[in-house]
Amino acid sequence: AMATSAMVGQGEVLTGTTIMACTFDGGVVLGADSRTSSGNYVANKVADKITKVCDKVYLCRSGSAAHTQAVAGYANLYLNQHAIELGEKGVSVKSAATIVKEIAYTNKEWMNAGMIVAGWDKAQGGQVFAVPMGGTLMEVPFAVGGSGSIYINAFVDKNWRAGMTRDECKAFVRKAVSLAISRDGSSGGVIRTVTVDAAGQNKEMVPGDQVARYQDEHLPTLGSNAPIFT
Amino acid sequence: LAYMSILEYNGGAVLAMVGKNCVAIASDTRFGIQHQTVSTDFSKVFRITDKTFVGFPGLASDTQTMLNKLKFRIKLYSLDEDREMEPKIVSNLLQTLLYEKRFGPFFVEPVVAGLDKNNKPFISAMDLIGAPLLAEDFVLSGTASEAMYGMCETLYRPDLEPEDLFEVVSQCLLSSVNRDALSGWGAVVHVITADGITSRVLKGRQ
Repeated sequence: AMATSAMVGQGEVLTGTTIMACTFDGGVVLGADSRTSSGNYVANKVADKITKVCDKVYLCRSGSAAHTQAVAGYANLYLNQHAIELGEKGVSVKSAATIVKEIAYTNKEWMNAGMIVAGWDKAQGGQVFAVPMGGTLMEVPFAVGGSGSIYINAFVDKNWRAGMTRDECKAFVRKAVSLAISRDGSSGGVIRTVTVDAAGQNKEMVPGDQVARYQDEHLPTLGSNAPIFT
Repeated sequence: LAYMSILEYNGGAVLAMVGKNCVAIASDTRFGIQHQTVSTDFSKVFRITDKTFVGFPGLASDTQTMLNKLKFRIKLYSLDEDREMEPKIVSNLLQTLLYEKRFGPFFVEPVVAGLDKNNKPFISAMDLIGAPLLAEDFVLSGTASEAMYGMCETLYRPDLEPEDLFEVVSQCLLSSVNRDALSGWGAVVHVITADGITSRVLKGRQ
């Protein structure tokens, strides 16, 4: 997002952002912040960047809000048609990711979209596919994206492990996103997560005032008697 | 990353408001380099005399430089005149300091707030080349200025007592910086009355 936002005109709405998705033992957790910025103006403080593209498969969106919403719309259309043909078998996560990749790769000249597709299917369980700008498709155990991701690459590399439980994975995703929000001006608001596993899908949110903070020891000091108001 | 103006490189917001026999001045505490936040304890408002504060939102380097230049002149004035500089004069001095650099300016848009020797409130603001704005109600400056104008026009009323003034200024500032990617990460609010100065640190969202 950082490299190409210089190319987009001022006024285009961007999801300068932190997004991530992570596999655990039995499913995936997708996570994102909720800030949509238009230049420096925060156009939406409570945006939802995790979009359903088909049953049990979700898309994390970063880059241009318009481009990624269009991709999600087309992916949803094609995957619904595909699901009708498959019947009870259900759409695989890989198929969903491939459709998203086809749209991104075919239209790469015009697109400003970094996306992560993640979900659960009966055949392969929880899977995460990264579709960064340019239209590559990579299956990975975890992925981070958006302008805030640069601040947490090392953190997730060090702290992800295979075989986490659902709650451990959710806590890991929330911690990573909160760390990115702490440093990236384009990320902020609430932390949204979607957990997908055999049982179903669960959308949750950590409100803004409950997001973990790491700089409170570094608030300005006014001497021992000055009160701090929350 | 593209930015519209060098005044938006670091980000920041300062607001000053007049109450009943008091003034308040507040600033956010984010220091960032474009979109990266570097620290969260960088207030842009400084006490320069007993009853006068000045805020320097804009390029952080010039925030620090203008503060040093101003402090030097304040001290020299005290030595020359054997009295403290009143806020109206501080404002005038800043205007000349800025206009001296008319064709290579300092990238700050200062806000002055204080009580004169009769404890009458004074506020003013100016652009980066010293064009003054003298107001009776509120002045503000920084990357969240459009949002702050909306909040202040809505919430301001004349003759607020110091405790109420603190609440109004805090809400105006916090709500505005929540809509600005380059400001926030906490705030400092100073309320100046004849009896003294009350300073409070606010924990914002983000």
